Amino acid sequence: MVNYPKLMVSEKGLNNSLLSVNGLSVDFETIYRKIEVLKEVSLTIVKGEVVAVVGESGSGKSTLAQAIVGVLDSPPAFITRGEIHFNGERIFPKDGKVVDYRGKGINMVFQEPLASLNPVYTARKQLEESAEIAGIPSKNKVRERVIKSTLSELMIRDVERVMNSYPHQLSGGMRQRVAIAMAIIQRPKLVILDEPTTGLDLIVQRKVMSLLLNLRKDNDSSFLLITHDLAVAANTADRIYVMYAGRIAESGPKRDVIRDPMHPYTQMLKNSIPTGYSDSGPLNVTEGSPPDMAHLPSGCPFNPRCPRAFDKCREKVPPLIDVGDGRKVECWLYER
Amino acid sequence: MKDESILNVSGLKVRFRNREKRGFLTGAAEKWKVVLDDISFSVNEGETLGIVGETGSGKSTLARTLVGIYRPVSGEVILNGKRIDYGKKVDLVYLRNNIGIVFQDPIGSLNPRLTVREIVREGIPFNRKISRKEQDNSISEITDLVGLSSSKLDEFPETISGGEKQRVSLARALVNRKKILLLDEPTSSLDVSIQAQILNLLRKLREELSVNYIFITHDFNVIKYMCDRIAVLYYGQFLEVSSVQDLYENPFHPYSAELMNANLTLETSNKFESQYEIGEPSREGCIYVNSCPKRFSKCSLPPPSIPLGNRVVKCWLYSSDDAKN
Repeated sequence: MVNYPKLMVSEKGLNNSLLSVNGLSVDFETIYRKIEVLKEVSLTIVKGEVVAVVGESGSGKSTLAQAIVGVLDSPPAFITRGEIHFNGERIFPKDGKVVDYRGKGINMVFQEPLASLNPVYTARKQLEESAEIAGIPSKNKVRERVIKSTLSELMIRDVERVMNSYPHQLSGGMRQRVAIAMAIIQRPKLVILDEPTTGLDLIVQRKVMSLLLNLRKDNDSSFLLITHDLAVAANTADRIYVMYAGRIAESGPKRDVIRDPMHPYTQMLKNSIPTGYSDSGPLNVTEGSPPDMAHLPSGCPFNPRCPRAFDKCREKVPPLIDVGDGRKVECWLYER
Repeated sequence: MKDESILNVSGLKVRFRNREKRGFLTGAAEKWKVVLDDISFSVNEGETLGIVGETGSGKSTLARTLVGIYRPVSGEVILNGKRIDYGKKVDLVYLRNNIGIVFQDPIGSLNPRLTVREIVREGIPFNRKISRKEQDNSISEITDLVGLSSSKLDEFPETISGGEKQRVSLARALVNRKKILLLDEPTSSLDVSIQAQILNLLRKLREELSVNYIFITHDFNVIKYMCDRIAVLYYGQFLEVSSVQDLYENPFHPYSAELMNANLTLETSNKFESQYEIGEPSREGCIYVNSCPKRFSKCSLPPPSIPLGNRVVKCWLYSSDDAKN
């Protein structure tokens, strides 16, 4: 996809930013303790940009998405600090007037289409509902036409059959496309995709991703892509945020983050993807698994697995260090 | 047949009873659904075979048939020179003792009521008289080898992490040494950094225990890293069997080419130009004819498996009598 250097420059002024999340913290409150699952997360999306949030399970990436859309289950989850601005308006914390942005401004596509589609209604019924919310009139079959054109935009050939099917009658790729159609029929400014292609086959995955990226060209929509797969992010995003244990470990333009990762965790993620043939050497990863959020190690949360950790890493949590060129790293190695 | 091949499968066919409801007026639906058709391959000593395919292509059915969970209707399975008769219990026991299996879902394949130690003990066959102490010795030996700390042995599956669960599955499959280990998507439910750890472990085990893997996955990067030969499965048929390097550098079958094209790596960037749509498999002629961009008149007949050097391709494009229009 095309890179937008102009937009990157304007990011500093935040004038052009569509979504900005500032210092967002989310706590999960259980009977026994409070667990901080998101810590001071800041994120910006510029108009027309595709931003990927990459992280392993438990890193808080889905919580971030849910907090932005406003569908956090609370209890147990509570936003304790931070602000979310969308399209120039503050959507969290709400001050008095309720800003209605869901459905018109931000839409979300969930990972499991079977769970996000209602099993007892046909695809047609669910798409109509979505179109109704967007205010598309049902008169003169306008709504029907909009639905059909949206589905054919997603390269569905037998539109009529798909519309009259129940979710269980459709294949995985088709289901995900219906879920995406429900999200984009309202022409939102921002689409949040939570692992949209996990569990889909390679060919279907490429299909779904290419359709989404085409939409971005056509409608000038922005995308927030949440994924665990660095390769998917490398092939879609303009900028990448890498999350670890509820923090942004590294952020920056895709090309730089993929080619020259700075944070040791990003380096490990990159090394984890096998590239060579069977005669190549072992993959360069350290043992250990992502930390339990309730029992984080002291200092940098990555220090037990980090090959380059030193004393300071075990004592103090590193700040987010701006290293220039739009890149930020949360690591003591880059302290100046 | 080469002498060194451990497992030799030829013409394997598996079918399931068709559960689809019969139409009210349209008459009977087909009674059988052929899930695997004419599957032939061999696994040589010291070689890892990879099987790739999409959902529903029959990858898992093939794995389950090879350990005797499903029974083929025709075809031959020869293990260590012994022909397996799926009707005989002795043969099935022989099959199970020589071929281990690790399933994709580590949660579903471990009994939640047993501790890790007891789960690994399940892998020791009942028909072999081994004292409790020897069993414990081999359990601690194998769990050590797969990198499970001994403190985990008395825990239940729900308290250990996903990577550790997969290590337990591996230990259970290998506690009784096997010639062949079937790995059915062993890493696809794991995080990438954990997947890398498991891949490293699998390579280590391959060297230390001289076990041969049949690696089933849909992840091409993993196949490339782990396997020597690769078989491309599409709706129950092997469309291409070749060495990994050949397939990567020059895929012959149009479907393999499409699969290779869909593979994402860090080096490729924005590889999402829209290609042709993959349609339903065809019931007549070549199974891939509905989606193939290179189809021609001859494709309405089922293609034979054409051997080309060290690869086998099921495609009319490569048939020697150049009847191509």
